[in-house]
Amino acid sequence: MPIFSVFFVFLPQIVFAAEALPSEGTAWWVWVILLFVFSFFLGIVAVVAGVGGGVLYVPIVSSLFPFHLDFVRGAGLMVALAGALSAGSPLLKKGLANLKLALSMALIGSVSSIFGALAGLALPSHIVQLALGFTIVFIAFIMLRARKSEFPEVSTPDKLSQILHIQGIYYEESLKKEVDWKIHRTPVGLLLFVVIGFMAGMFGLGAGWANVPVFNLVLGTPLKVSVATSVFVLSINDTAAAWVYLHKGAVLPLIAVPSIAGMMLGTKIGARLLTKVKTKSVRVIVITLLLLAGARAILKGFGI
Amino acid sequence: MNNNRAHPNKAQLVYAHVLHWASTLGIVFVVLGFTIYVFELLPLSVSIDDIAKNWHLSAAELNRQYHLPTGWAWVADILKGDILSFASIVYLSAATIFCLVAVAGVFLKEKNVIYTIIAILQILVLVFAASGIVGSGH
Repeated sequence: MPIFSVFFVFLPQIVFAAEALPSEGTAWWVWVILLFVFSFFLGIVAVVAGVGGGVLYVPIVSSLFPFHLDFVRGAGLMVALAGALSAGSPLLKKGLANLKLALSMALIGSVSSIFGALAGLALPSHIVQLALGFTIVFIAFIMLRARKSEFPEVSTPDKLSQILHIQGIYYEESLKKEVDWKIHRTPVGLLLFVVIGFMAGMFGLGAGWANVPVFNLVLGTPLKVSVATSVFVLSINDTAAAWVYLHKGAVLPLIAVPSIAGMMLGTKIGARLLTKVKTKSVRVIVITLLLLAGARAILKGFGI
Repeated sequence: MNNNRAHPNKAQLVYAHVLHWASTLGIVFVVLGFTIYVFELLPLSVSIDDIAKNWHLSAAELNRQYHLPTGWAWVADILKGDILSFASIVYLSAATIFCLVAVAGVFLKEKNVIYTIIAILQILVLVFAASGIVGSGH
């Protein structure tokens, strides 16, 4: 995997470079091809490291390419949305993603993601840049520290989850048996989804990094159900925020389409490579990249 | 699915089915629209060179510079290559609404009051966002 290794060796240095790549005198199609190739590799890395594409795309592309942050966030949302839409159907058919759980959480999250998108487009760029930087560093720490629980113990489901009939059964391949699950702390989960929706809309990041821990550790859904339902919630919340970006003219096809195409192709290849690469070391590199990209965004936010 | 008890319910399967077709069609539209755009098979409202020269500007500044339409005003220029490519992205953003309309119908048939209401409220939220009431303008 020589190309893969070169990508990892040089990317941290590029991300932390003082300036974005120079745009003067470079033909537009060179940028489009570069963006496609770059998104392709990000797609591979995202799958192998087990993170959403959007969370890597926005900080790194805004560091490296000459596009305004508005268009990078708009494209980032479309990248996350396209990925979630194409992954959603099989996850629902397998019974891993749960429609009732997703709809209950997405309703409130989608409202706050609209407000997040409006805030992100209304605030001065350096403030958004600064907030993005701190958020990315925070995400890197969450990825580093967050525990995971394959099958969390939920002794008594809360009243609200009972009213909403949020519970399920799925077939666990590794155990060769069905797993029953139910949830607790639903009001806390709803509150957290308000915050997550706002941040996803504001930064165009996608929000798998936050959805999964909330489903898994707060609400108590099994890890596989959490990951699958998170994808599904993303498709609804990102749709709400995407409309705001579209109406504000913050989605340029010239940037969004090569990113979507590259990322989708990359995630397909990444899924095939998943068994062949050491995911743990890739994850460490991704966390390092996030920390560097976050630090760079903070510096840019301070005008340094 | 290995077992009937773990089989997803009808609403979930309907959502999955509509989502599959809506997203597949969306990807086809996006690729077609972009091909028409970059190969200039239709006239453009703003040249690709002009966009590339100014993509370092904020969305509001770029829109002001080229008097680009915000909200739904772009529909009037649908036969321009760049607008067609934009429209394909708009379609992708509408895919979830199609799925929700389908699943609201299933919940209604099943007389599932709570989820009929949740699905309808979700549709209203997304239609509100899509209407441009909150997003359009500078």
